[in-house]
Amino acid sequence: MEALNNLDFLLNTIRKIDNDQAKEYSFGNEQSLEENLAIAFINPKDFDKLNLVPSLHLKISNKQRNIVVKIEKDDNIQEGIISMPVSIWSNQLTEILKNELVYKNIVVSVEATREPILKFKEIIQKIRGIE
Amino acid sequence: MKRYPCSGCSLLCDDIIVKSDGLFIEEVIGACLKGKERFDQVSAKNRITSPMIRKNNELTDVSWEEALAKTVEIIKNSSAPLLYGFSNVTCEAQKAGMDLAREINGFIDSNASICQGKILNKAKSQGINLTTITEIINKVDLIILWGANPAETIPRLLNKVLFSRGKFRMTGREIKTLIIIDPVKTASFRVMGVRDLALIIEPDKDVELIQMLKEECCSVDSIPSGGVAGLDKNDLKRLLLHLTGAENGVIILGQGIIQPHANYDLIEELLDLLQLINTRQVKGRISLLLLGGHFNMAGFDHVALSSYGVSGKLQFENKKLVISEDTIISKINKENFDCSIIVGTDPISHLPHSLSSKLAKNPLILIDNHKSATSHIADVVLPTAITGIESSGLVYRIDQVPIELKKILNPPNNIPSDEELLNQLIEKLNGGAK
Repeated sequence: MEALNNLDFLLNTIRKIDNDQAKEYSFGNEQSLEENLAIAFINPKDFDKLNLVPSLHLKISNKQRNIVVKIEKDDNIQEGIISMPVSIWSNQLTEILKNELVYKNIVVSVEATREPILKFKEIIQKIRGIE
Repeated sequence: MKRYPCSGCSLLCDDIIVKSDGLFIEEVIGACLKGKERFDQVSAKNRITSPMIRKNNELTDVSWEEALAKTVEIIKNSSAPLLYGFSNVTCEAQKAGMDLAREINGFIDSNASICQGKILNKAKSQGINLTTITEIINKVDLIILWGANPAETIPRLLNKVLFSRGKFRMTGREIKTLIIIDPVKTASFRVMGVRDLALIIEPDKDVELIQMLKEECCSVDSIPSGGVAGLDKNDLKRLLLHLTGAENGVIILGQGIIQPHANYDLIEELLDLLQLINTRQVKGRISLLLLGGHFNMAGFDHVALSSYGVSGKLQFENKKLVISEDTIISKINKENFDCSIIVGTDPISHLPHSLSSKLAKNPLILIDNHKSATSHIADVVLPTAITGIESSGLVYRIDQVPIELKKILNPPNNIPSDEELLNQLIEKLNGGAK
């Protein structure tokens, strides 16, 4: 699918009490997991720069992988940053540096897309090597 | 109604009132959202109450006998087992895990090594000033949250340390200055008052701030006029005055400050800064509090140190401890393991894809009380009682203070505690003798 607009961002994964994977695994289901964790937050100015509208999703890519998630505007996020709750979705893009895990400031490329949100089951299949 | 400590997070609040008849929990008073969720896990719909084995790609309920036999078979076929997790279990279970690792010549590590344990590890060479929650309540006049958002990770922390009146302070919140350094305006910013200082730093520029503070420690007059890392000169001046003038300050460190960098080590830079400030501080001192979410993240190092004389990861060969440069990350990354035993954690969710996909290649035994992404990968799932509700034991609080968790209820189906299960496995592997 053709990219609508493509920009580089810094991905930060953060813990949020309303988007908490431990809570979703204990009390939720796959739909609530996707609803609350397959989500990214960006500054409203970036939202506009990407020509996003609420019906579009966001494709976030690093050099190896990409994910498609829901997008929400958040005034508390600085321009140029994309923030995601810590989850199996964000960890498809996190990295390793000097034998340590990198959960913050990961350079990613971002584009608006009409592709559907990456499903939990698809991620599990990819992790198990069934692409 | 009785008072119990809460195992919802590493703050281990010991003022939670629970009404229970020994069969059910009827009421929980005083817990935060995370604490309430912890108590609700007893009857959570995704609770695992029966052992399971993967058959035809589906997890299937089996008897304990069959599940333990399969577990022993996987372990016996392994020459390089990996044991990981152990920050959501008691110290007794951590000790049982280490004994199991010794028995099967495995490598064992906890979640702490990828979280706040990194700071303690790096502090071994240069020292560290830690503090306790009680000391913060009683003495502190400056609280700095650096890359930390306790309002959402340890919800009652600020309630306890910021809004409380201390034994040696005639006043409470009024004399406590809060400074938050973060690239994101997190929920913790909402508790800030007029005399507090919000520093929205540019992402990945913490090192510039630390280096400037180190250089300017004795002189506020030479701060660059354009500021540093997106921070205004006047704000930097206020930060420096607070750091050097506080009678008793604490920096609460979160994940934001422990990220690795290609050209420098942010943790070492920060520890250097603290040493410098504390050397030049004339009125008091600045200490650290390390934020780690899991309720016994601090315990693993204490148990390893008291049981085997080293803190952190342990590698066993011929049932003896050996020195290893490996970390949990390098072990998985190099695929230097052939089966994993995961206890009370969800690495398939919290590790990068490049590691979780390697973990999934080998047989995986999961010991946990609820479903997770890791249970979708596991070959065997062994349920255990919920610690602090259905089983008791010692745990270490966020500030390294030991707290005894108590049992309130019996677990369903007589599920064993983590400690009992790990000891059972050792017995089975030894043909019945521990």
